[in-house]
Amino acid sequence: MVNSKAKYVEVELEKYSLKPFDRFKRVMKRTFKGELFVGLGIVFREMVRFNIHTTQYPGEKLPISPRYRAIHELLRLLESGNERCIGCGLCEKICISKCIRMDTHLGEDGRKHISEYTINFGRCIFCGYCAEVCPELAIVHGPRYENSSEQRAHFGLKEDMLTPIDVFKKGAQKEYPGFGAPSPDADKRIKKTPLAY
Amino acid sequence: MHEMLLHSDGCDMISFYVDGNLVEAKKGQTILEAATKSGHYIPTMCYLPKLEPISSCRICVVEIEGSDELILSCQTPVVEGIKVTTDSKKLFEYRQNILKLYDVNHPLECGVCDKSGECLLQNRTLEFELDRQEFSAKEEKREIKRWGLIGYDPSLCILCERCVHTCNEIIGDDAIEIATGGYSSHIKPKGSDELDCSFCGECIAVCPVGALVSTGFKYISNSWELRKIPATCSHCPVGCAIYYEVKHDGTLDASEKRIYRVSNDFEYNSLCIAGRFGFDFENSETTKDSSELSRAVEAFLKADTIRFNSFITNEEALILQKLKEKRGYKLINSEAYIFREFLSELSMASGVSFYTGSVEDVKRSDFILSIGSRIYDDAPVVGYAINSAKKLKGAYFGYLHTIEDNRIHPSKFVKYEVGAEEGAIAALAYVILKDKIVDNRLQEYLDDLDIGYICSESNISEEELESLAKILKSKSSPILIAGSDLYSHKRAENIARLLGFIEKHSNFKVLLIPTSTNTLGVSLICDLDKEAGDYVIGYNDIGDYRLSSLGDGDLDMPALNQQEGTFTTIDKRVVPTNAALPYGGYELNDIAKELEIARENTIDYTLSLPRKSGYRSVGFDELDDEISKDGVDRRGYNLVIEEKDTHFNLQKIADIDEYNGVVVYVSNPTSQFSYMTNRARLLKDQSSDLEGSEQFSIAAKIEDGDYVSISFGQYEVKKVFKINPKLKGVVGILPIFDNMLSTYLLPSQYKYQKVEIKKASLEKKVEEN
Ligand code: SF4
Ligand code: SF4
Ligand code: SF4
Ligand code: SF4
Ligand code: SF4
Ligand code: FES
Repeated sequence: MVNSKAKYVEVELEKYSLKPFDRFKRVMKRTFKGELFVGLGIVFREMVRFNIHTTQYPGEKLPISPRYRAIHELLRLLESGNERCIGCGLCEKICISKCIRMDTHLGEDGRKHISEYTINFGRCIFCGYCAEVCPELAIVHGPRYENSSEQRAHFGLKEDMLTPIDVFKKGAQKEYPGFGAPSPDADKRIKKTPLAY
Repeated sequence: MHEMLLHSDGCDMISFYVDGNLVEAKKGQTILEAATKSGHYIPTMCYLPKLEPISSCRICVVEIEGSDELILSCQTPVVEGIKVTTDSKKLFEYRQNILKLYDVNHPLECGVCDKSGECLLQNRTLEFELDRQEFSAKEEKREIKRWGLIGYDPSLCILCERCVHTCNEIIGDDAIEIATGGYSSHIKPKGSDELDCSFCGECIAVCPVGALVSTGFKYISNSWELRKIPATCSHCPVGCAIYYEVKHDGTLDASEKRIYRVSNDFEYNSLCIAGRFGFDFENSETTKDSSELSRAVEAFLKADTIRFNSFITNEEALILQKLKEKRGYKLINSEAYIFREFLSELSMASGVSFYTGSVEDVKRSDFILSIGSRIYDDAPVVGYAINSAKKLKGAYFGYLHTIEDNRIHPSKFVKYEVGAEEGAIAALAYVILKDKIVDNRLQEYLDDLDIGYICSESNISEEELESLAKILKSKSSPILIAGSDLYSHKRAENIARLLGFIEKHSNFKVLLIPTSTNTLGVSLICDLDKEAGDYVIGYNDIGDYRLSSLGDGDLDMPALNQQEGTFTTIDKRVVPTNAALPYGGYELNDIAKELEIARENTIDYTLSLPRKSGYRSVGFDELDDEISKDGVDRRGYNLVIEEKDTHFNLQKIADIDEYNGVVVYVSNPTSQFSYMTNRARLLKDQSSDLEGSEQFSIAAKIEDGDYVSISFGQYEVKKVFKINPKLKGVVGILPIFDNMLSTYLLPSQYKYQKVEIKKASLEKKVEEN
């Protein structure tokens, strides 16, 4: 908003000399004031005391909140290890930056299978819609946030995101409590369908 | 207020109230039709405008003031002055209850179901706010069936019966039925376990849920990801309105370069198997290489003849004509040539520039005769039109041909001898015209006909003719459908004239079935020649230099699903088609441009289609390309029909050539028309075998399963022979869609050929493969 009462005020600055010798004196004064050594002294003191507060990235990483929406993971069913994704295409449809694309086919078992599943991470805005809409808890946001790349388009393929089967067999697929996960009170909210006669 | 609504055709109109608004209706119209037409909404599930009301779902109920009962609006005709309510709490609950029953044990599998997004059950369940299910029933074992191109999942079926009624009332195959059994009811092939039908796929199209699906489409794409491109089917002269549904292929390439399926406005129209499943015949992986173009131009500079077929657009035909005008090429398309001759003889006799019948006329007709065509194979949708006229309007259908066709169920089959088409038409002319002639010379001509002799020569029984004549007396809108056996007959001229006189002097409309997709267009646009010169450019045809949309020629051309342009259909209608897929190479127009016929785009020619042939000066972009919401085909425009001078020049009926020995009828199966359908992935299992009856196999001295060589004139084809128990008589059926013969030689030859059949060695077959 423009303040109608606003007006320009001239600031009075201390006049300083621009003569070469005066300039030289000013530089020397500022350089050898000693404050520099105070700072260096503190750094040196903390170094020899081994009391550093900086996180040593990339050697050391901060834990990240489950609410943080990082690179997607495609999970497997806990009992069978089958892929959870049923190929419903809701994530593809809802994706606001149109960066999810999938290809499905009829499997030999008569079920729908996904042949390919890609997310263009260069376009993904990590909004979490896909994880939220997924009826199977198949696509979730994992904790991996490092996704720099040399190109703008940067595709994550199905095999990059799906829990590898050997990792799964070791029981290392973690149900991540972040975006797309069931709510903590999910058990209470579940209803029986009338099919359970 | 009623009086105000009386129109010129007022006595046929009645009026009534829908939700308090005054609505008018034609007498006999149902409440649903009239209400929907006037913009009111009544929910439906089983109703399909193209069928008789099925009345199985009861969701279309309405209230009528003064009546306690709820009325089914889809089957109840309007009565003057009634007051209809389409929505109330009672109706809502009633409909909700119906849906609850539909949803009992309905699998919760919208997530994978192919119908999701366009499913009527899904929509209605949402519309009637069913967010929970209180009922359940004991689960039955329901097996998913696969019947060739069609898949059926009984647990998704809501038993609306649309499929059964469509197959019976429209298609005529009557191939499926409901197996009743209360909660375990389902659809099954009639009288067998396997589905034996023409696989038009109409049942898939009309199924409101995901119960009937195309096995070739199953689980490969969600419907909402597909973009619909309105186009015209390019396989046969009917030119059905279709949508190519396209999407990217794979996940890393964004270009829409694959057709996933073909759909149509199934509420009103139907497609055949070739139209629905034969869509992937594109010429892909083409690039522009200017040295190739210059070689093509060189060939054009050297050539004196261009040979082509009628699987091209009107615009391409016009480019060819312009090339002829500029450089004097001979244009050879023998099949369009004989059709043009036939049409011009016919119009000289009838006094109008075209035949007057249309496919719509067939649907409305009460007496239909067809001659010289195996109609379900030549133009399947004309076959459907005949069937619906029969089933829905009680029309009489007389099928005249040499080979009985058990798919057609005619009211009467009249068999004639091979070669006897002229006699058969003369006999028909006699029956139709004998009492109504005003023209003395024609009267004399008919009196002179020795019908007894003609009938015995043609092997037609006179009693059959008499009975046709008798039935005809009580009919008011007869139509005569004539097919391509006649155009190539050696007496085609006289046959055309006889047809012309039937058209002129009786209430019969005549409908010719052009030989292939744009035969009519080519014959109207190109000034065709009879004899080829020395150096021939073949466009999708043989030649010294070949342009080909199959990717097998010297220069690639776009296939018909990669082109914009127009076709001239059987209905004498100019309809637009759009490019469904990208094309990277050169087009005919690029060559024309090099030869200094300068128009930027192929579709710039639409405006200049020849007015003298009945085309109008309408540009491509002005052409409408869709079927309207109430089912009216608004595509393109109709050709202008003109009056012409008539000539009387009928000739004596000639004697019939003897067709002894082994004779085959050259005809393709319903599913296959040409090299285009032959490329389609889903149609590749369709048989291209030589077929014949037991009797034929004895006459030809071959057995079921033999690999044989069939020769006639200078041509030879090799085929497997199959005995078809449904065929009768001594004429075999030879399909040629899988062979270049189908485009360049046979369409202009008489479709019956005396052939020599020898067994060929099997090793040879392996080699050829
Ligand atoms: S929403 Fe879930 S189940 Fe559906 S396609 Fe996406 S990842 Fe698969
Ligand atoms: S038929 Fe309709 S309601 Fe049933 S699973 Fe398929 S989409 Fe869902
Ligand atoms: S495909 Fe056509 S002919 Fe076959 S059952 Fe379905 S509707 Fe009938
Ligand atoms: S298969 Fe489809 S069209 Fe046929 S009865 Fe079942 S739901 Fe209706
Ligand atoms: S009838 Fe002809 S135009 Fe119609 S779908 Fe079949 S092949 Fe195509
Ligand atoms: S629409 Fe009337 S009963 Fe189904």
